Amino acid sequence: MIKRLYVNNFRCLENFELPISERPSTLLFGRNGSGKSTVGVVLEVFQSIANGTNRVGQLVRLSDFAQERSDTPIRFEIEVVIGGKVYGYVLAFERPDGFKEMRVFEEKFTVGGKTVYSREGAQVQLAGMNKAKAANFQVDWHLVALPVIQEQSKTDPLYIFKTWLARMLILAPIPSLITGDSKGETLTPKRDVTDFGEWFTGLLAYSPGAYTKIDSYLREVMLDFKDIKNPSSGTDSRSLTAQFQQDRASISLPFRNLSDGEKCFFICAVTLAANEAYGPIFCFWDEPDNYLALSEVGHFVMALRRAFQNGGQLLITSHNPEAVRKFSDENTLIMKRPSHLEPTIVRMLSDIQVQGDLVDALIRDDVEP
Amino acid sequence: MNKYVPHVLVLCEDDANRQIVNGFLLDPLLNPRNIHVLGLAGGWRRVLDDFTNLHRDAMSANQNQYMVLLIDFDEVENRLAKVKEVIPPNLAERVFVLGASKEPEELRTEGLGTWEVIGQNLARDCRENTSVTWSHRLLRHNAEELKRMTPILKPILFR
Repeated sequence: MIKRLYVNNFRCLENFELPISERPSTLLFGRNGSGKSTVGVVLEVFQSIANGTNRVGQLVRLSDFAQERSDTPIRFEIEVVIGGKVYGYVLAFERPDGFKEMRVFEEKFTVGGKTVYSREGAQVQLAGMNKAKAANFQVDWHLVALPVIQEQSKTDPLYIFKTWLARMLILAPIPSLITGDSKGETLTPKRDVTDFGEWFTGLLAYSPGAYTKIDSYLREVMLDFKDIKNPSSGTDSRSLTAQFQQDRASISLPFRNLSDGEKCFFICAVTLAANEAYGPIFCFWDEPDNYLALSEVGHFVMALRRAFQNGGQLLITSHNPEAVRKFSDENTLIMKRPSHLEPTIVRMLSDIQVQGDLVDALIRDDVEP
Repeated sequence: MNKYVPHVLVLCEDDANRQIVNGFLLDPLLNPRNIHVLGLAGGWRRVLDDFTNLHRDAMSANQNQYMVLLIDFDEVENRLAKVKEVIPPNLAERVFVLGASKEPEELRTEGLGTWEVIGQNLARDCRENTSVTWSHRLLRHNAEELKRMTPILKPILFR
């Protein structure tokens, strides 16, 4: 669970702290351009590092400096609670005068408040932990150190933290691009979930029992759902098909032929199953209500909230009134950016006075953070 | 929601009641497809107006439909009787009226937790036939209505 997420000088996020500690599920609400999706971009930076991307230029760009202010470092700080321990990671990028490329300004990884390694510029100080000896070494300024420091075992804090980051779900599905075909497997789908077939394959390879969860959710939302198959469609490829049944008649449909909303049901089912199989995980879902019928939005959001109530953490963005109503003052964050020249402001709805119906107030733009 | 199987509509007076219901909906053993929360009425009289103008006839036509009206009793002793006057006899067995004796805000200030936590605890009480939260002084006046409601709605709402 994310305890703290702090961002400075990155796009519209300046001195920005996301107050989601201890909250199993949270809604980000705000006008277009208020910075909701940028929170997802920040999480993607952490995830990319955990997946091995360490070239600074592949993580951030010069245009990411807020208001083109490159004299102040871009700073990301995250604290995550895993198994009762707090893992902290700080990363700052700078672009010195006269240089074209950005580089690491500061980097630090802590567990339970104790430093595992710290870094200023190229100089890395590795603290001695367990049987490992303390060491000083240098890393290219243009490379992030986290992916290159070798973890000792699967109990190494570095391994635990990187695995947690890598398994975050950061989702903004584009159903029309999702075919259900796969040529491998993964536990970490792409943001647009175009690798849904790989994710489905990876989840069931990791935990075949996850199918039960997928099946029970899909039967709940699609009364004629029978099963989903993932047969080989070539030497090293598979292709999902969904089967539906009514009375004695049945039909088998290629996944690509399902509607956009139906594909979202499958993504939701796999998300719920993933949280049980290899969670607790953190899930950021940008506008999960897109593509859904109005009668389904509330059920969809509540299914996600219910699943993350006892493990994992859910952060969603939405503009949909029905989705907004399924959150409460204690877990709704209002984001606002007064103009493109000003940074994002964020406040919990419980700290804001709202008269009457919340959705009406939001439509009137009467909710001021 | 499948209107051809037994289901429950919830009509809330205000935003606080809506948030308590959100907590109720988080119960892990809920049958989520059997409950639907309607838009806010904005006052107990409007709850009655909405019931009468928008839902009464539909309920009469659909024996599978049940309704919970969530209102604030505002410490008015005959509020329940006033509300029940509006419910026609043919629907009386399928409409239930619940709420805080004053305002839901007091439940929070008396330390019962956030509205969602209160809702979760109320759901657990319903599911487990207990009255840990329902017996609070601001809620215990609902006992008779709960006694009538629980055997009917529990099999619909919970697995």
